[in-house]
Amino acid sequence: MRKIQSMISTSSVEFRRYEAHNRRLIAEFRERQETARHARPQRDLERLSKQGKMRPRERIEKLLDPGTPFLELSSLAANMAYDGDSPSASSIVGIGVVSGREVVIRADDPTVKGGAWYPLTAKKIVRALDIAMENRLPVIHLCDSAGGFLQLQSEVFPDKYMAGRIFRNQSILSKMGVKQLALVFGHCTAGGAYIPGLSDYSVIVRGTGAVFLGGPPLVKAATGEEVTVEELGGADMHTSISGTCDYPAASEEEAIHLGREIVAQWDRPKKWDCQQETPEDPAYDPEELYGIIPDDIKKQFDMREVIARIVDGSRFHEYQPAYGTTLICGFANIWGYKVGILANNGVLFNDSSLKGGHFIELCNQNNTPLVFLQNITGYMIGREYERRGITKDGAKMIMAQSCSRVPKFTVMCNGSFGAGNYGMCGRAFDGRLLFTWPNHQIGVMGGDQAANTLAEVKVNQMKRNGGSVDEEEVRQLWEQTRSAYQEQLSAYYSTSELWDDGIIDPVDTRNALGVAISASLNAPLGEAGYGVFRF
Amino acid sequence: MGISLSLDDKVHHVTILRRHPHLVLVIDGEEHEITRLPGSGDGRGIMSIGGHEVAFARTTLGDRQIVRLGGRTFDVSLVDPFSKGGAAGGAQNVLKAPMPGSVIAVHRQPGDKVVRGEPLITIESMKLQTALPAPRDGVVSTVLRTEGETFEKEEVIATLEPETEDA
Amino acid sequence: MTTPLFRKILVANRGEIACRVMRTLAEMDIASVAIHHRVEARARHVQMADEAVEITGETPVAAHLDIEQIVAAARACGADAIHPGYGFLSENARFAEAVAAAGITFIGPDAATISLMGDKISARNFAEVNGVAVAPSVMPTDDLDVFVARAKSIGFPLLIKAAAGGGGKGMSIVRSAGDLAEAARIAASEAQRYFGDGRVYAETYVERPRHIEVQVLGDGEGGAIHLFERECSVQRRFQKIIEEAPAARLEPGLREAICQSAVRLASAAKYRNAGTVEYILGADGRFFFLEMNTRLQVEHPVTEMITGLDLVRAQIELAAGKGLSLAQSDVRANGHAIECRICAEDPDRDFLPETGQVQYLGVPEEAWLRFESALDQAQKVTADFDPMLAKLVIHGKDRQEAVDRSIGALDDLALLGIKTNIDYLARVLDHGAFRAGELHTGFVSEHGGALASPEIPAAMLPQVLAAAALGFHEFQELALGTPQPYAAIGGWRN
Repeated sequence: MRKIQSMISTSSVEFRRYEAHNRRLIAEFRERQETARHARPQRDLERLSKQGKMRPRERIEKLLDPGTPFLELSSLAANMAYDGDSPSASSIVGIGVVSGREVVIRADDPTVKGGAWYPLTAKKIVRALDIAMENRLPVIHLCDSAGGFLQLQSEVFPDKYMAGRIFRNQSILSKMGVKQLALVFGHCTAGGAYIPGLSDYSVIVRGTGAVFLGGPPLVKAATGEEVTVEELGGADMHTSISGTCDYPAASEEEAIHLGREIVAQWDRPKKWDCQQETPEDPAYDPEELYGIIPDDIKKQFDMREVIARIVDGSRFHEYQPAYGTTLICGFANIWGYKVGILANNGVLFNDSSLKGGHFIELCNQNNTPLVFLQNITGYMIGREYERRGITKDGAKMIMAQSCSRVPKFTVMCNGSFGAGNYGMCGRAFDGRLLFTWPNHQIGVMGGDQAANTLAEVKVNQMKRNGGSVDEEEVRQLWEQTRSAYQEQLSAYYSTSELWDDGIIDPVDTRNALGVAISASLNAPLGEAGYGVFRF
Repeated sequence: MGISLSLDDKVHHVTILRRHPHLVLVIDGEEHEITRLPGSGDGRGIMSIGGHEVAFARTTLGDRQIVRLGGRTFDVSLVDPFSKGGAAGGAQNVLKAPMPGSVIAVHRQPGDKVVRGEPLITIESMKLQTALPAPRDGVVSTVLRTEGETFEKEEVIATLEPETEDA
Repeated sequence: MTTPLFRKILVANRGEIACRVMRTLAEMDIASVAIHHRVEARARHVQMADEAVEITGETPVAAHLDIEQIVAAARACGADAIHPGYGFLSENARFAEAVAAAGITFIGPDAATISLMGDKISARNFAEVNGVAVAPSVMPTDDLDVFVARAKSIGFPLLIKAAAGGGGKGMSIVRSAGDLAEAARIAASEAQRYFGDGRVYAETYVERPRHIEVQVLGDGEGGAIHLFERECSVQRRFQKIIEEAPAARLEPGLREAICQSAVRLASAAKYRNAGTVEYILGADGRFFFLEMNTRLQVEHPVTEMITGLDLVRAQIELAAGKGLSLAQSDVRANGHAIECRICAEDPDRDFLPETGQVQYLGVPEEAWLRFESALDQAQKVTADFDPMLAKLVIHGKDRQEAVDRSIGALDDLALLGIKTNIDYLARVLDHGAFRAGELHTGFVSEHGGALASPEIPAAMLPQVLAAAALGFHEFQELALGTPQPYAAIGGWRN
């Protein structure tokens, strides 16, 4: 493998301008993240400490092995929903190491409305359990939730992918042999009671932890019975009488300690044997990514410069370097793991689509995980390209990608528009993890194009109906369409809706992929084979 | 996270900051890089810590490590943070009869402080006397059976409550 | 190849000295027989021996003191000699007699010599008669004036003590003639009050006394030589912990005088065997006979180290009647040797004995080092026997080298699982007064403060804690069991 020769001049005016722009974006991202993670009403924090409880992130820090990473997922989920009332969707999810085992950690956030589940909370938890299933990662639940957010119950409760899916996924995980541990720090009420109930192991903190289907007020209302929290579902009751929980703990610290001891008893998974080399830092400084990503989405840049700042030793074996050049394909190592990278260097043409499809097949043959670096405006359109079969060539790439047996990972680097999103393993294609850079935009088309398209339709309509065109009305429609589009195109909207597994700082891409690939190897390779390719 | 160690009645904390390219321990808040790791077993070992090569011998005695280093022998014991203290101990609040029988003697009365393992009540069952120990540290809250009284299996005989801070 | 002097020797002892004796027996092609109580059936000396006989007794010590049983064991196994080691029955005249009566050679002097030297009064009188200096003393009289007059004649300082007493009552040190009468009167009245007997006894008081002893060999016919002296001044609880040969800072003339005095005693007693004549030496150069040990001494290796002789071999040859194999002029001293007694005890708690299990034993190996022990890894150390676990014996070209090597060897010696005095011994050796040879039997208490366990140096603390932490299995897992790439990525947060 050869080292990529960077063509970037870090002293150029352009580099500095891009860098300043991207550092601003990162600062904004970090600020939003900080707010979502830590900004809470003083009242809520005081109540928590009065109960002798730790904040959920403290619990996670104590649970993790010291000096090991934690890849937090979807830290800005729900950041554009519910007027910001549910930071991080009231839930913390990530992948980390506990007692030497890689696990998914999922924590309720009692500092937000008592840890109540919003619709996006349910979506985030379901996704966390999907990740656990797809990667066979044990799950540790840190339970402290008042239950479903009742004002929005219709969006939390009834549908297939709502709260019920959490318990369905828990059951399937257990059936798959993937272990779950619940540490009950606070209340697990109603459906939430099933989290420890469906976990293979559970620890409950005396005094603050409680598990019941209906809390004391509900019991009083329903049957007139007066009962205390401890009697109804406290630690001693559940660990000595009902058997709903396994271990009583005298404090949150002890619960965490017990949890770590429990995990230490679990067998160490046998991962499949992905090709590995000794890891090596990239030869180029990843911080230079800030000066490479342009300050305008319309500006083109060479994705090799990005690859050089993500992969081991900046080394890259490029496949078909002279063919279908708008799609870069090639092999590299990330944290030692051999991967096949597909990165957009322009619109997808027939040749680049065929090249992509072929390269994906090579990686499936070679048991090489796939990494997609998206910066795609779509497949080429127009008479000439349709005549050449751009649709069926795109379909081949989508077919190869969809049916891949190796794990897939996607990084949304700058733009993801139209069917290019599909070919490059967008959200719908069951990639193991999908990350977004803060500068990224995603949509069926760009804001300008959408406004232009709708304005065009409007003008045609006006002409058909009366003949005269109200320029002002068209302009307003254009503006509205563009601004609505622009908001929904942003990475923040995307991550708010959990269309990804979180926004990451470009500099963190290498670590995020390293953890993601490592985690993915716990699940066996999928079935080989494809559907019908249209030739 | 990490471990607490006791040496000469002083408690020290050791945890890990990072492992790459070398293990870095945080000992009582200070970082120490270990550029050469000792072997894992008992016996002699060499370790490089903070740029110094240190030869030592070590043996494990239960939850103690006897370390000979620099011509001195040190007895370092592991501190279990959950074995002592007011409400510490994850065990139950209730003392239940492991089998049916009768009370022979009540050793502790309500209000008495107890530590885990201390006999609370001696019972006789199937001609066998058994002292029931306190399941954890705390204060006796209630004693529900007195001498001579009988009970069934799983019946609660006494209850505990956490020791209050100002007690 | 010559015929062995004996065919088979029963070693009536245990521990390091039994092992030590057996090593020489093996070299001399003599079969060895060990005796052992049930509790020490797997002890090192039993494993080393060619044969082993179990002896019974309520306690292991009682078994080792059972003369009839041991003699019977020797007869049963066909031993033609018994080596008693030190301690136990080694200075028991009845044992020597019983062994001889059974037709077995006792490797030691005859019973009469043992009796003579075993009784303090008779030994003292014998020494005095034969021109060996004993501490001048005044025997109790009923007339205090007579007592004072006699006491004045032996000089000062004087120690006056109650004839009937002990425990310091009625005891006082008198430094000048002017104080004597008054001191005697007070001592007598105190003695009267405490013991109902007003008679007092006086002897020359030796200030800051040194313990010097001379190794002798006697052929039983009056022929005797010395193998130079040893100094055993460093003691705790009246037992030696560090011995050296030759003595530190001893004028050649004085050394010669002491050694000659010992030879005179051995010769006069027609002593047969290796023996040790012990003296007390004052700062003024006066030395007085203390006692004679008619056996091998614990600290005999320091003499072996400087003379290159094997004292056990010498004992066996003398017992076999082969006489002295070398003349006094053939005996040469080379360099300096130090012995440290490694004991299971806690120097920080007044040397109280400790028990436990030897979890790890790591002994440095050097040509100039002897480690005498019967220890094995995983061996339990109980209160059944003496707390001495081992002896570390070091040779150097001079005293400074011997001291430095001893400190280094003690540092390197790892005997883990039981509390020992190893660190303490190193502190004694490294003390300025020890290095300067300013020794006396009160050394340990005089320097008690300076010899106490020092604070852990700040730089050493993290080293100790790191070594300990990494010894715990769970911490090892935590530190080294992290899967990749997590271990390499470290504490990263996104």
